[in-house]
Amino acid sequence: MTTHHDAGTEFPFAARPAAEAVQHLRRLMADRPMTKVTMPHGGDVWIVHRNQAARQMLSDQRFVREPFRTGEREVPFFVPFPDFLRTTLQFEDPPQHTKLRKLVQKAISPRRVRDMRDSAAAFANQLIDTMITRGGVRNLVAEYAVPLPIEMLSSLLGVPSADREKFERWSSSTLSVAGRTEQEITADMGELAAYMTDLIAKRRAEPHDDLLSSLAHAHERDETLTDAEILPIAFLLIVGGFDNTANFLTTGVLSLLRSDEQRALFMTDPDALAPTAAEEILRHGAFMMGQPVGGGGGLVPFVATQDVIIDGQLITAGEAVSIDPTAANHDPDAVTDPGRFDITRTDNPHLMLSYGLHHCLGAPLARMELQVGMAEIFKRLPNLRLAGEPVVRYDVLTQPMTDLPVTW
Amino acid sequence: MPKIFYTQPDGRQTALEATAGDSVMQTAVRNGVSGIVGQCGGSLSCATCHVFLAEENTDDFPPVGDDEDEMLDCAATERQDNSRLSCQLILREGQEVHVTIPEAQL
Ligand code: FES
Repeated sequence: MTTHHDAGTEFPFAARPAAEAVQHLRRLMADRPMTKVTMPHGGDVWIVHRNQAARQMLSDQRFVREPFRTGEREVPFFVPFPDFLRTTLQFEDPPQHTKLRKLVQKAISPRRVRDMRDSAAAFANQLIDTMITRGGVRNLVAEYAVPLPIEMLSSLLGVPSADREKFERWSSSTLSVAGRTEQEITADMGELAAYMTDLIAKRRAEPHDDLLSSLAHAHERDETLTDAEILPIAFLLIVGGFDNTANFLTTGVLSLLRSDEQRALFMTDPDALAPTAAEEILRHGAFMMGQPVGGGGGLVPFVATQDVIIDGQLITAGEAVSIDPTAANHDPDAVTDPGRFDITRTDNPHLMLSYGLHHCLGAPLARMELQVGMAEIFKRLPNLRLAGEPVVRYDVLTQPMTDLPVTW
Repeated sequence: MPKIFYTQPDGRQTALEATAGDSVMQTAVRNGVSGIVGQCGGSLSCATCHVFLAEENTDDFPPVGDDEDEMLDCAATERQDNSRLSCQLILREGQEVHVTIPEAQL
């Protein structure tokens, strides 16, 4: 990647202690709203740092993803962008996007997710029971943070309980923590696709009360969806859902274990504090893990269909643009005292789940799982503590933790 | 200049001057009013901008559209007769609007 040079405002910038990273971001955002970066793949992209400018870009429909979907243009990204992701909802623009999105959104709505809350808490407690039975030092990633979102998503999609294990194996294959080879992943994806196609056919024939059934039967309202449309949605949820949610949850637990003050505060009422704590973990949790933080991230980009000025910067027609959630989440104009980890923060306009038409489809589900996952573990194991150093994989993009050794 | 009064579930009130053409959601998000998330940026696909519109304002806005109606069913807090999605409440010059924010959006 090429680097923009201004004293102390370069972007991307190398990892440094969290407090310094916050200061660096502050100088960067005081200097300019966005930086043009040359990606390792796919060429140049504007990366928007400031919170308000990022929101403005994300809610402006003159920025589209069509050229990426059609293949007319390569996605500027850190790694070659996976083909199977290019065919998903993320890359559709209105009106096709609106139709699909609305159908799925209804199935993962705040309302629907609220109804899943009790079963999420019950499953979290089952996982905790198992950890207690095994005793000793447990890996919180493998035994708690990964299985919880997998269970919730498979019940949302309507995967029969008898098949859960198979489903878990295939779907966790794409997880960066699984450490599978490219070839193994391709084979697993093939099996998963065959399985899901079969399940969609079954739900078409005999609907249940689940997401696949409602998508398969959406035609009642003149909104027919073909299998070819449903399958990528299921994939997007699986691929987007597990890894990120598991990461958020692990980060959340670790950030509280690293902050005695905020953990003590959380323990006063985990259920009541979980909602604001979850948002603060999304915003700032990565800065609380005790590891250095760098700058350079960007979400999946868009392409400008015409010249657009955002926050004083001209983005020319045809240029790609993306947002940098790390900076936007620490923008002093949007967040008071952005370097402070405060689980009671009520005004928290972070962009970790993005914003606008393409905001994270599973946002309500991810939030609920994070809230429930945090509250249950600290309620059941109030003396939870680290039993070794966390293991982080720096060789994959999302830099997930693969082991968080804990005891209680 | 339109004016909006936001009442929190606990009764606290925030009064804001707004810009005609903006929505009640946009004005809230821009000024950091708690309890209005507006995650989808007003594209009617998140239901996190749910508000209860004061009775005296009922006729100040176009009625609930089909898409808004469907999304209101998805809101985290049970909808009521005066429920609206605040991204659909576009302000006009001189308006004074009162809304109450529900217990939960997420
Ligand atoms: S902002 Fe998403 S529905 Fe109103």
